[in-house]
Amino acid sequence: MEIIKSISESTLNIALQGRLDANTAPELEGVLISSLSGITGLVFDFSELEYISSAGLRILLIAQKKMNTQGTMKLRGVCPAIKEILDITGFSDILTIE
Amino acid sequence: MNYSNNNGLLTVFLSGRIDSSNAESTEKELLSICEAADYSEIALDAEKLEYISSAGLRVILRLRKSEPTLKIVGVSSDVYDIFEMTGFTEMLKIEKAYRRISVDGCEVIGQGANGKVYRLDADTIIKVYLNPDSLPDIQRERELARKAFVMGIPTAIPYDVVKVGDGYGSVFELLNAKSFAKLLIADPGCIDNCVMLSVELLKKIHGTELNKGDMPDMKSVALGWADFLADYLPADQYEKLHSLIAAVPDDNHMLHGDYHIKNVMLQNGETLLIDMDTLCLGHPVFEFASIFLAYVGFNEIDRTNIEKFLGISYETGKEFWEKTLREYFGADDVRCAEIADKARIVGYARLLRRTIRRDGMSTPEGRAIIDNCKAQLAALLPCVDTLCF
Repeated sequence: MEIIKSISESTLNIALQGRLDANTAPELEGVLISSLSGITGLVFDFSELEYISSAGLRILLIAQKKMNTQGTMKLRGVCPAIKEILDITGFSDILTIE
Repeated sequence: MNYSNNNGLLTVFLSGRIDSSNAESTEKELLSICEAADYSEIALDAEKLEYISSAGLRVILRLRKSEPTLKIVGVSSDVYDIFEMTGFTEMLKIEKAYRRISVDGCEVIGQGANGKVYRLDADTIIKVYLNPDSLPDIQRERELARKAFVMGIPTAIPYDVVKVGDGYGSVFELLNAKSFAKLLIADPGCIDNCVMLSVELLKKIHGTELNKGDMPDMKSVALGWADFLADYLPADQYEKLHSLIAAVPDDNHMLHGDYHIKNVMLQNGETLLIDMDTLCLGHPVFEFASIFLAYVGFNEIDRTNIEKFLGISYETGKEFWEKTLREYFGADDVRCAEIADKARIVGYARLLRRTIRRDGMSTPEGRAIIDNCKAQLAALLPCVDTLCF
């Protein structure tokens, strides 16, 4: 998985490419831990994300909980297959999907 | 028009096309079925429905006015598109038909009492249930797993329920994980690490607060066990047992209900939970009662039980139980023994009821278990004044 990070003012954009699964989730968690300080807007670009596993969803949940205390979090470019996973798991109800 | 009435759920089966040519007669027929039936909920089964026009949709709208519980089930994707475009999916409960899946040629990766587990592809497995009537149980387990998952409890994603032949299956994420039971069998020296990780996850579960009604309340289940024993225990013991359980404060924190080393897995250093059908809520004493049974209580009479069930020896099971208490409570042996006694009371009550209900009186082993439970309760009950810790 590729993690492409860009910051403009206090908004952090994270574009993910490939698979967010048990093997790659720790890497994303590391990026979030080191970059969320002072961030009030977190935007995930999922347009090139192919698959998300439970380990990946748990990282989104952790990020959402953190952002609830300091700003907002959005998912962008969610493809139908991943949207379906978010719907089935009930994550659509707790995340903001554009 | 066919219909069925199952314990107050009236299901009417729609078929073919419903359009301006037959909407009126369909409505009349529907209403006459409703009038004649005694029901509390109503569903329209649309598995054989091929098309519905605006005239048909208006029939459903009118029906919903008098039947607020109305839902539509088994909807094909073509008909679902119609419901979705017209906004019906936002107004009433509309469930899609289950996907059909064949497991021919799929690798069997597990087998349990209720069914088989197959690997579907690189990312998913399917649990196929033997009993074709298991749908309510499957849906119950999935709903519990889903609730736990969005609360942050690490577990496999429960995907959809599918039809497999005449029965049903449940699709889950494939975990690349090993159970603690397997890890312990391969390396008995890792027991302390397994205890530490499993307690860490247990505390996370117990720290998760739910709303009352989200999951079954263990206290009322345990009161049911006590009530059952009214006929089998001396009156003073029954009363003590009942009042001890009744005095446990209501608690809306999550419990797993069947927490042992086969249901806790390790994947890339992260602990995961499986088998979510026993999830419930309540005071942790009820969790420790079931943990005590898994590691010790179920195996006291026939010590080979635990080898068949968890693959470890009776001694290792006992060690795991004692170390779990010490790790969880960070307490000395005396305090841990006090807590264990509270859990044992609930555990023996459950085991006694279960053995009697499974006709244990008719076998020597069953009678030995019953006698042991009764002796343990007789010794424990006078010494304990509260089940709380």
